[in-house]
Amino acid sequence: MALLEVKDLKTYFATGDGIVKAVDGVSFSIDPGQTLGIVGESGSGKSVTCLTIMGLNPKRNTISSGEAFFKGKDLLKTSQQQLREIRGNDIAMIFQDPMTSLNPVHTIGHQLMEAVLLHNDVPKQQARARALELLKQVGIPRAEGRIDDYPHQFSGGMRQRVMIAMALINNPDLLIADEPTTALDVTTQAQILDLIVKLQQEYGSAVIMITHDLGVVAEIADEVIVMYAAEIAERGHVDRIFNNPRHPYTWGLMGSLPRLNADVERLVQIEGQPPSLLRPPKGCRFHPRCAYAMDVCRTVDPVLAPVPGEPDHLQACHLDAETKTREAERLLGAFATEASAS
Amino acid sequence: MTTVTAEPEAQLELRGDELLVVENLKKYFPVTRGIVFQHQVAAVQAVDGVSFAVNEGETIGIVGESGCGKSTMARCIVRLLDSTSGRIVFGGKDITKLSRAELRPYRREMMMIFQDPYASLNPRKRVGFIVAEALQVHKVGTPASIKQRVQELLEVVGLNPEHYNRFPHEFSGGQRQRIGIARALAINPKLIICDEPVSALDVSVQAQILNLLKDLQRDFNLTYIFIAHDLNVVRHISDRVFVMYLGQIMESGVRSELYESPKHPYTGALLSAVPIPDPELGRSRRRVVLEGDVPSPLNPPSGCRFHTRCPRFVEGKCDVELPELVTRENLSPTHAVRCHFPLERWPLGDEGMRLDRAASASAPEA
Repeated sequence: MALLEVKDLKTYFATGDGIVKAVDGVSFSIDPGQTLGIVGESGSGKSVTCLTIMGLNPKRNTISSGEAFFKGKDLLKTSQQQLREIRGNDIAMIFQDPMTSLNPVHTIGHQLMEAVLLHNDVPKQQARARALELLKQVGIPRAEGRIDDYPHQFSGGMRQRVMIAMALINNPDLLIADEPTTALDVTTQAQILDLIVKLQQEYGSAVIMITHDLGVVAEIADEVIVMYAAEIAERGHVDRIFNNPRHPYTWGLMGSLPRLNADVERLVQIEGQPPSLLRPPKGCRFHPRCAYAMDVCRTVDPVLAPVPGEPDHLQACHLDAETKTREAERLLGAFATEASAS
Repeated sequence: MTTVTAEPEAQLELRGDELLVVENLKKYFPVTRGIVFQHQVAAVQAVDGVSFAVNEGETIGIVGESGCGKSTMARCIVRLLDSTSGRIVFGGKDITKLSRAELRPYRREMMMIFQDPYASLNPRKRVGFIVAEALQVHKVGTPASIKQRVQELLEVVGLNPEHYNRFPHEFSGGQRQRIGIARALAINPKLIICDEPVSALDVSVQAQILNLLKDLQRDFNLTYIFIAHDLNVVRHISDRVFVMYLGQIMESGVRSELYESPKHPYTGALLSAVPIPDPELGRSRRRVVLEGDVPSPLNPPSGCRFHTRCPRFVEGKCDVELPELVTRENLSPTHAVRCHFPLERWPLGDEGMRLDRAASASAPEA
């Protein structure tokens, strides 16, 4: 059985200008121990999807619908009281910015112990021992000496490690990492990604990794969701997404990436800007920026349907299969020839 | 050539027609104690002896982790900061000690594009004013011709010239960065220093901006110094690349040399840390993970500055003797490395990076 099953999730925000459809019909599921990567540009609804699952959207102006079954319980219908017990215990989250997500006026030991004491009836000493153990596991040097330090005494990478320690302290079944490495240097990013993978194997947690970096997704994800303008454009196994991408937006993302192993004179660019979610384009939301747009794309919103011969690989595009196969091969072929030529 | 206090390593072979020459540039920020009687107790050695030359029309890429002195160096070059020592020669003229008034004609020739398109545009000024400001400061043209020029510039960078009267908040991040580029282009500079111009942008927009920068370089014969922490981006845009660590250049070379056969262990570690957008390649590759963080530039390590994190560290050599940035026998003359024990081959995994002690003892300079 899937650990988390999300069906037709919608999140709308009421704003002064109208209703922003931040997530518009997203469905996916994740199994225990699996890693799901969600990629997309800023504003595509990646973070809001996860915040909705966690029940962390502001109540006043948010309308959510759909289902999110976690261990058989619909999180969208759970009371805040019960959600508080799940959050930080069964589902934990790592946020993007380690500079602002730790409380600057408490020591990190205090903050780590708080997470333990909130969910477990244990004496303080035991909570502190657990905090220390986690700090050691995430590779903080001299953990005994640093447990009583304040967040400002740590570097960015170290703070992100503290965040990971805090997220994992209660052995969560699901870890949601929202751009955990975006603010970090490549060397630190490599350390943090290695750490997440290592701890995931140790604890058997499932991970949802939200990122805009296709490289990060390729390295750690099993399943990939490509989001565009609040909807899923393509979904499938990581190898299939990278070896047989079926959506023009995915091609655009892959082509716009400068690569270490390929010399490209000009990057493939996706023209224009992501659309406003206040008034998303009619039909397929990608059509104003799509090089392959046809008449049908302007009027009919494509449904997320399996690729012929690949039941687990879904895509939402009107383009015929032959053109897609040809274009995908052309794109991947370009990378391959450049890599071998250079 | 005038004599300068340069260490042997700082002497560059110059042809005389370089657009920009930086010689042994140092920037120390003093750390002071006391309120009334201030005295300097230490110095942050942000840039410590950087030398290089830039030819007209080329793109220099500078990579390094945050805090390695990339931006400080850029600011010293355009004289937004005064350097502690060293020389900056622009177009054959030493501009290191020029006064503000004397500097003015040279300021027209070098422009900067900043990282954060949200913070680098004045929110209370209209786009037309922001782009025109440089023209007005340098008293180029009449109001009518300035307006025409601004609209022309907006068009060049791919914005609608009708948007002349809008405010920055009406634009998205990518569009704002285009405004920043239009501003930098306004008075036809020769050199543009791009300080992380795409790191705040989404990949699709990043590709648009990188393509735009390349087009502009071709059309206006621009010279770029391109600073970034993203190695893929630097590889894409640069002709030559410098790798910086704690205020010093660790390795420099033509792009293909540096990316295909890196010699410095730090370059190797950086390259192997970049995520590859190809699942099979990513899984099969051996990665070098550096331990720890960058040491403080307040008190940089003795000897080679990288020795505290280096997998090839040799006691008694690396922590004592600062290696020079020099080219080696088996390297091309454009490829220089600051390391006692450069990498023999590439790619290498974690194991291969470690030095074979027996081999190194017999031939330490090989």
